[in-house]
Amino acid sequence: MTNPVLQLTGVSKRFGGVQALQGIDLAGKAGEVHGLIGPNGAGKSTLIGCITGVNRIDAGEIRLRGDRIEALPVHRRARMGVARTFQKIRLAQQLTVFENVATGLAARRFAKASGWWGVLAPLSSASISEPVEQALLATGIADLADEKVASLPYGKRHFVELARNLVAEPDVVLLDEPATGLTDDERERLSTLVRQMARRGTLVILVEHDLDLVGRLCDTVTVIEYGRRIFNGTPAEAQENEAVIRAYLGSAKLAKEA
Amino acid sequence: MSDASIWLIRILFVAFLAAIPFMVDAYWLNMAILALIYSLVVYSITVLTGFTGLLSFGQAGFVGLGAYIYGVMSVKGVPPVAAAAWGIVLPTIVGFLLGLPAARLRGHYMAIGTLGFGVLVAQLLNNMVDVTRGPMGLLGIKSFGLDRVTWFYCVLALALVLLAALEYLDRRTFLGVVLKSVKYDEISASACGVGVFGVKLLAFSASAFLAGTCGVLLAAYMKFLTPDLFLSAESFRYLMMAVVGGVGSATGALVSTLILTGVPEALRAFGETNVRLLVYGLMVLFVLWFLPGGIGGLIDRLMAPRRKPRRTSASAPQAPKADTVPGRVS
Repeated sequence: MTNPVLQLTGVSKRFGGVQALQGIDLAGKAGEVHGLIGPNGAGKSTLIGCITGVNRIDAGEIRLRGDRIEALPVHRRARMGVARTFQKIRLAQQLTVFENVATGLAARRFAKASGWWGVLAPLSSASISEPVEQALLATGIADLADEKVASLPYGKRHFVELARNLVAEPDVVLLDEPATGLTDDERERLSTLVRQMARRGTLVILVEHDLDLVGRLCDTVTVIEYGRRIFNGTPAEAQENEAVIRAYLGSAKLAKEA
Repeated sequence: MSDASIWLIRILFVAFLAAIPFMVDAYWLNMAILALIYSLVVYSITVLTGFTGLLSFGQAGFVGLGAYIYGVMSVKGVPPVAAAAWGIVLPTIVGFLLGLPAARLRGHYMAIGTLGFGVLVAQLLNNMVDVTRGPMGLLGIKSFGLDRVTWFYCVLALALVLLAALEYLDRRTFLGVVLKSVKYDEISASACGVGVFGVKLLAFSASAFLAGTCGVLLAAYMKFLTPDLFLSAESFRYLMMAVVGGVGSATGALVSTLILTGVPEALRAFGETNVRLLVYGLMVLFVLWFLPGGIGGLIDRLMAPRRKPRRTSASAPQAPKADTVPGRVS
């Protein structure tokens, strides 16, 4: 029995009069793809914010490989191995794809104080260009390396964010609706990438409304509604669960038909 | 443009600058030296605003601090080199300390905070009469004993070395990418592991270092200081030079400083009237109108290298290959 990489216990978050999250428990193992689903406004993005550090939690604890991280600022958590994409893509529009992906290296480099050595090294040096080019190849955007992000179509930008996560070699990747606006081909490529990341031992937390994708990729799903966890289990179990059906699924199919 | 022609243009540019002492009289040589010294404070805005996206309305404060630290110490008999070291180190420390509160502010709030600092320094210089002699001006500043042509080549060399260093930092280095990631999006930068606060402190200190150095050179060259030289209006003049240069381009900053220092002097042909300033103001407006990226943006467009495909792109498969994903195996 392996210990969870990421463990949330009783996480609560209030914004003024709104109880956004209430006693959320969640545990994810290395190599797992963990779906996080629920209706709009259920608190999925808030939960991601709590894990990455954008939102400070009011109660509960968050452990990464056993260490409590809920009091740490965003960049410290990133250095410990938490990477994310954003629901509304956040990239430096005027920088090239290569430069944007290189930014992701900050997490690993600055995790050690010695990371400041070599910040004046050229971007073409092997310690920077090799991991970046590898991530660009893995995400299938190597031909766009020198393009400015502002000139890319929307779907490609998702992959720039993903490549930026890859170079950080994170333990946990949080993907906030990564399939939005993707073509079918791009969606396939995304699935392949998520599986590869999991196979390499990364815990992938996937927030997604594309239930077909969730059903195909996820080992476990957590369903939240009004800030509370109403279900945790396999996609097949979620499919049968009364509460999940009532709150979110309706007649949608989550698990593959037997 | 090919690499060879870009290098040719660079060499011609440096050769033109180096030939200035042979082409102009003492008055214009003096202007050229001052412009080159002022380029340092415009570089300080390049680092702070151009690279890191922080707006300062108080750069004249750091220049004044550097200038007066050098001036007062040198008048009191401290050797010029030691006085210069203090005049550079102390503003850098002040920049770091000012950064502690200022780096927590955003956008306009930071601009107003730094404006306050600039006003504070100007008032101190004016009112600490015992130390600075206030409006009477500080006389008798010792210098390095260089003649004017030597001064010119020294500050030219310094301006060009800094120019090369900043261009390298901006375009080629990981640090440049880190600084700019903060400028474009603090939230995504911190999610990538960039300590945004630390980067801002670094930018603040580096910027104060450059502005303080500018002040030291100014004091050592002019050998006479008054508080008027460091009023907030000066901060805005530096900002204007940076903006016309295209904030963020060190080359643009240097060219713009040379032009915007030279033009008002040349316009004295109109006589000492307001017409001169009107023409000057209109010129600046027109530059911003037709060159939104400033002079630096124009240079970039003209010198854009012919696009070379990246080494890996020719063989890059469109679909992801298996086992190409880097990751920790646990």
